[in-house]
Amino acid sequence: MEAKQYIGEGWKHAILIIGAIVVMLPFYMMVSMSLKSQQEIQSISGGLIGAQETQTFPVCVKTGYSEETCTMKPYQYNYWFAFEKAPIPRYLMNGVIVTLSIFIIQVLVALPCAYALAKLRFYGREFVFSMVLFCLLIPVHGIALPLYVMLAQAGLVDTYSALILPWTISVFGIFLMRQFFMTVPDELIDAARMDGMGEYAIVWKVMLPTAIPALLAFAIFSVVAHWNDYFWPRMVITGNRDLFTPPLGIREFRGGIDSDEFGPMMASIVTVTVPLIVAFIIAQKRFIEGITLTGMK
Amino acid sequence: MHNSKAHIWFIAPAIILMIIILIFPLFLAGGISFTDYNLGNKTFEWVGLENYDKMFNRKTYVKMIWATATYVIVVVPISVVLGLCAAMLLNSLRFGADIYKTIFFLPVMATLLAMAIAWEFTLHPTLGIVNSFLANGCGGIREFILGFHWLPWVDSQESWYAVACANNMDFPYWLKQKNTAIWTVCFIGIWQAFGFNMVLYLAGLTSIPRELYQAAEMDGAKSTWEQFKLVTWPMLGPTTLFVVTITTIRTFQVFDTIEILTKGGPSKTTYVMMYAIFEKAIQQNLTSIGAAITVVFIGFILVLTFFQRYVIEKRVHY
Repeated sequence: MEAKQYIGEGWKHAILIIGAIVVMLPFYMMVSMSLKSQQEIQSISGGLIGAQETQTFPVCVKTGYSEETCTMKPYQYNYWFAFEKAPIPRYLMNGVIVTLSIFIIQVLVALPCAYALAKLRFYGREFVFSMVLFCLLIPVHGIALPLYVMLAQAGLVDTYSALILPWTISVFGIFLMRQFFMTVPDELIDAARMDGMGEYAIVWKVMLPTAIPALLAFAIFSVVAHWNDYFWPRMVITGNRDLFTPPLGIREFRGGIDSDEFGPMMASIVTVTVPLIVAFIIAQKRFIEGITLTGMK
Repeated sequence: MHNSKAHIWFIAPAIILMIIILIFPLFLAGGISFTDYNLGNKTFEWVGLENYDKMFNRKTYVKMIWATATYVIVVVPISVVLGLCAAMLLNSLRFGADIYKTIFFLPVMATLLAMAIAWEFTLHPTLGIVNSFLANGCGGIREFILGFHWLPWVDSQESWYAVACANNMDFPYWLKQKNTAIWTVCFIGIWQAFGFNMVLYLAGLTSIPRELYQAAEMDGAKSTWEQFKLVTWPMLGPTTLFVVTITTIRTFQVFDTIEILTKGGPSKTTYVMMYAIFEKAIQQNLTSIGAAITVVFIGFILVLTFFQRYVIEKRVHY
């Protein structure tokens, strides 16, 4: 390698490192604030983790805990107090319930339909497929208001159903699975029929296993989208804390930027954000594949 | 050939759900937008185009269109170009590309709402590291670079940076000032979106055959820029079209950052459509005007996608 190439490579890294620093700024801020004491946050001192001096936290004492309980290191206090103040496990549970229900129903609806569209011949198939193509154009967030009106009329606002129902149909899932099933050889299905399998059995025992890779990508796509979704829960969940999804919880922690302690608040936000980020870092390739799925059509 | 009726049971749930959840609401929104219906009312009256008339003539809604347009026009091109640049840089690296890729993709993954709050603190005038970084740089190299003093036409006493330093570290309150709020929100939008575009471009780049570059070189395209013009850019046509469309649709739907950071303010400079729908229809219970905004919003998106599918698609395929 020539010297010139080294210099070129160096420049590229310099640019990319600056970019990476800007991209990481809020992550740094978030983690740092969740570890430091209020004084350190307000004076912007202490670097990433602060001095971690054991101290007694006045807000904690005011809340009614004994002074002894309230004496600990800032990072311990922030995370402990975050869990004391808000039912974080509940929010996370809700997130799991909602995203999993959505994904399972989406698959239950989409898989048979995709199979029929790809492998069965029946009158009106082209029409159904063009309907799917048309529905692909409709952003569900865009029609949130009429959906909200419908749910309100049905008395479903502030229920799990409101969080789940609008997402039960994934036309994108149908489209994706259909494209995938098109590549499955007909012989496989014929052989299954020869063995006396019914169409239902074929869908769940033959097609489903072949579709696992596509399903996995779709699962990541779906779960990430709905775990992070804030707009829809914000529309249909008005005050019932028991139904809060993680993003609604985050909103609640934030409170007033000037009133509360920032440490415990950021600790809660980190707790809620971390599961997905850790999953992403572990299974990076699959995640990128799943999330950019829409780019592969 | 099978002759069971299984297919009916296979497609019926999907069709019913598509009609109830996706198609009927379109008509419902259209219908409500011509009435004075508010959620909870027992009756309503047809008011013709009144809601649309309000939308295009009242200051608030004109500002809404402006804010949305500004946001989309700023965020889409910049995040697409940044995505492309990042992809090309990463593609040409000898080592370390994977690390940058992970970092640049993190914002796409992370819960946007949480990151919006993190940005709020990062950009906070007294707590944030951005303004303290700027304040510590007064009179130094940071001021020279970020104050654009290296540009010949910038007076080093009059630049925004120098003025802020002179006025007792009066750096912008990024999210609360009328002249900076929309740009700050745009910045966060770009920060969030470009990693996604980068990944799509990386996939596009790997599908360009090596031989094309060799052929271009034989034809005399020696410099990187010439090769980019001759090979890379045309070959990325379909990717670009796709990236632009999907970014535009996502950008149109911006809501999280606006709701948590600016609430449409200051003086409606960041009052984007999704937030307007939420504020009018849910918080103020003005369902009919919300429906009118919904119709215009859906209209924009449908026009855009049709434009992509049927007009441009024919031209970019080589």
